[in-house]
Amino acid sequence: MSDAENPDGASEFREDEPTDSAEEFEPIEVFPESESMDLRPGSDDCYKCSTCDTSCPVAAVDDEFPGPKFQGPEQWRLKRKDDRDIDESVMSCSNCMRCDSACPSDVPLSQMHNTARGSFVDEQMDKLSREYVRNRILSNYRTLAALGSKVPRLTNFVMGLGVTKLFNEKVLGITSEREFPEFATETFREWWEKRGGPNVERDDKRVAYFHGCYSNYNTPEVGKAMVRVFEAFGYEVLVPPQKCSGTPMFANGMLDDAERAAETNVAELAAAIEGGADVIASCTSCSLSLRQEYPELFDFEGTASVAANTYEALEYLRVHEDLEGALADAEVDDAAFAYHAPCHARNQGLDGQAVELLDALEGANAEDVGDSCSGISGTYGWKEEKYDVSMEIGAEMFDHMEAADAETGLTECPTCAMQMEHGTGYEIRHPLQVIEEAVVGADAA
Amino acid sequence: MTDTEVVVVGGGSTGCGVARDLAMRGLDVTLVEKGNLTHGTTGRMHGLLHSGGRYAVSDQSSARECIAENRVLREIAGHCVEMTGGQFVQLEGDPDEYFEEKLAGCRECGIPAEVLTGQQARAEEPYLTDDVKRSIRVPDGAVDPFRLCVANAASAERHGARIETHAEVVDVLADGDDVFGVQVRHDSGPGKREHARTGERERITAEYVVNATGAWAGQIGELAGVDVAVRPSKGAMVVMNCRQVDTVVNRCRPKGDADIVVPHETTAILGTTDVEVEDPEDYSEERWEVDLMIDELSALVPILREARTVRSFWGVRPLYEPPGTGTRDPTDITRDYFLLDHAERDDLSGFASIVGGKFTTYRLMAEEIADHVCAELGVSASCRTADEPLPGSEDFTVLREYMDEFGLRSPVGRRSVQRLGSRADEVLSTDGPNPVLCDCEAVTRAEVRDAIDQSGTDLNAVRIRTRASMGNCQGGLCCHRMAAELHPEYGEPQARAALDELFEERWKGERHALWGEQLSQAALTYALHATTMNRDRDPADGASVEYAAFDAGGADGD
Repeated sequence: MSDAENPDGASEFREDEPTDSAEEFEPIEVFPESESMDLRPGSDDCYKCSTCDTSCPVAAVDDEFPGPKFQGPEQWRLKRKDDRDIDESVMSCSNCMRCDSACPSDVPLSQMHNTARGSFVDEQMDKLSREYVRNRILSNYRTLAALGSKVPRLTNFVMGLGVTKLFNEKVLGITSEREFPEFATETFREWWEKRGGPNVERDDKRVAYFHGCYSNYNTPEVGKAMVRVFEAFGYEVLVPPQKCSGTPMFANGMLDDAERAAETNVAELAAAIEGGADVIASCTSCSLSLRQEYPELFDFEGTASVAANTYEALEYLRVHEDLEGALADAEVDDAAFAYHAPCHARNQGLDGQAVELLDALEGANAEDVGDSCSGISGTYGWKEEKYDVSMEIGAEMFDHMEAADAETGLTECPTCAMQMEHGTGYEIRHPLQVIEEAVVGADAA
Repeated sequence: MTDTEVVVVGGGSTGCGVARDLAMRGLDVTLVEKGNLTHGTTGRMHGLLHSGGRYAVSDQSSARECIAENRVLREIAGHCVEMTGGQFVQLEGDPDEYFEEKLAGCRECGIPAEVLTGQQARAEEPYLTDDVKRSIRVPDGAVDPFRLCVANAASAERHGARIETHAEVVDVLADGDDVFGVQVRHDSGPGKREHARTGERERITAEYVVNATGAWAGQIGELAGVDVAVRPSKGAMVVMNCRQVDTVVNRCRPKGDADIVVPHETTAILGTTDVEVEDPEDYSEERWEVDLMIDELSALVPILREARTVRSFWGVRPLYEPPGTGTRDPTDITRDYFLLDHAERDDLSGFASIVGGKFTTYRLMAEEIADHVCAELGVSASCRTADEPLPGSEDFTVLREYMDEFGLRSPVGRRSVQRLGSRADEVLSTDGPNPVLCDCEAVTRAEVRDAIDQSGTDLNAVRIRTRASMGNCQGGLCCHRMAAELHPEYGEPQARAALDELFEERWKGERHALWGEQLSQAALTYALHATTMNRDRDPADGASVEYAAFDAGGADGD
């Protein structure tokens, strides 16, 4: 559908703040001194079918992990007002959120897990423990990255040193098995500033780009691809101020940090939406966070509007532009990929998208490596004690990548990409980069 | 020489209370009950530990007894009681005069009462409607009638009493104008219930017989040839899947149906209705009663309208009024209790009935009847039941400290200790693996085995002791695991019969909640049972299975 056919643009996909028809179901703070909400009524929807447990990648390899049904509806239902303790096994959940899609009955599993984990970290985790400090560092990757990328070459050199890895593992509990991601010598935002902002300006086709931390500090080429592709389709791209989407913070139960970041993001993105833009993310975990976790956990003004108007980049173009048509007219050289759909892309129904799109593009082919989880789940696979579990979960994906007729990997998620590279040694690209090559041209970069 | 000094008929709260009281005074007591403990009215109540607030306007002497016994039970039965607190909630439009009367009544009866603004009431109970005008906070609580009754029976046994369940009284033995015992028909045995074992008849002679059968008192009276005119009145209760409220919520207006929500263990129970019935075992369970609960109480707690119900049940109040009172409306019949001394009343010695009354004051009733029996038998010992804690409630305060020691995940350990009280250590300290058998209610194998030790093959008796199979799947995923624990002590046909009986009992209440999520639950349970155990068309019915023909499984046990 093009704008010519529907001058109203995204209006049918855009919703105002949802009406408060079910006012009494709004979660109410029952434990005022903590941040947690009463999610016991959510257990009403669980009829114990255990489909969530069978789809949990952690439970599949870790017999000690009791699974999402226990973590979510069972644990919540057993709670009384004065009960505070949460079972520590919630820290073994990787927050892949596959249970959300698996549940046939709409149990708010990840919301229950996130809330329980937040309350566990708040009330039961020793704030001076190595685990807490390590998790705090990992989940605030953006802060670290902002510092490191001031002197990217030095940081990359130091982070690559054996002694640094040894320190990280022995003192912080960050695995030495992985190579720390390299910082780009020029961040996306630096590039954007230097470029002088958008090349296209128009108020009827406008998107606000949520680049997230990784595209900014580590893979600015993905952010640049997003900008060029959208400009090629005639969009004005805005790059509002932004903080971490919160994904690593949710997964580590650092809800206060996540809330602070979300407050800025919601305010900035809601303002962009007011100005006629839709929100676009290139990282599927960022878009899931804005769409699902924010409204489940926070209640800032504009949260619902941001959730309703956020899209993954290619999803947006497929909805509003004739992306397949554009690709059918294009051609790339010899682009064969082993494609892995991130769990968080699955949750948004995007798992078939990249394969379908590249099917339409001559010279390109993406082979789906199956529906297993990559196992890294953001910060999870970086934890020394979780590394083996993470690699065991990823084993199936590695096998399938190697069996695929391609020597390059493809995925939307930056940490899945790390894991894919770590397990196979392949170079990993983002679908936006392939689309960029097709619709903008290889020389654009 | 008689077999026992006193026979107590009825294993509900009153009967168990009487048995405990008399046994503690040194008497030799035998309690007989035709079903499980709590089989009659005790197992079919809403679990409210009255502060007395409900009776503070209409029946102040009951109210005073309630607050006194409320305080006693917190001390002696800490592991059966959850002091949730309660509110009498006035909604916009409910009469102010009644609110003031209620408040004054509470104060006159010595019931601590505090007025909360609408906002304070909602801060305490966030799911209350925003139509709350104000409320009165009172020390209502929640009590588990099963646990309390079982603890009384266990205490009686410790003091030498004999407790026989599944032993129905078929005759009251009398020699002219003196009762000297009962004839019972055991379902199996005597002794612990065991499916498929032949039951015997037994004559139990005694110096005194106490009829503590509540709504069934008329039937036992008839066997002895005396007229006990109980007026059984049914009340419907609806069990919600989870706790929408953590305190007892009462509607503050003159008596009416469907005006209370009681948090009970993991659930909330809505109550109730009041309709007189002819027969305490044969009355209709009607859909309108269930609908009424949900409709009326949604005005108080709106989320109830959409919330999941897991089952409904009906209880029968053992109401009684002295002959000639002639009250028409059962809601107007007094909730007071009456000790009927048949020697005085009907010239039949050695026999008394206790009727009326309510669960919260069971101990006081038991004390009064035990006093009476002791006077009749010339025993001078005094009552100690108000001071001596029940098994499970001794030293309850130290328990929290060793909750972590049982190797259980925290909500499982927490719930287990909440149920077992001071028995937790004894029950949960086990060498073998201790998996959770009932996931909904967090009941482990050790707790189920402990209950089997107490009650034989009766899985419903295991259920009331542990809450296994009482959660949201209503036993769909755990009944067979419970039955499996009967082996190897009991054989396959016994386990199968026990399982059938448990399924039937679960279905009895679940069939009144078949809409929404609970309908999905029932459909899933049906499919699971049909496809994994052939329960839709059981090939083993009536035939024995050649278990030896199956292999023993992998060497690793997987």
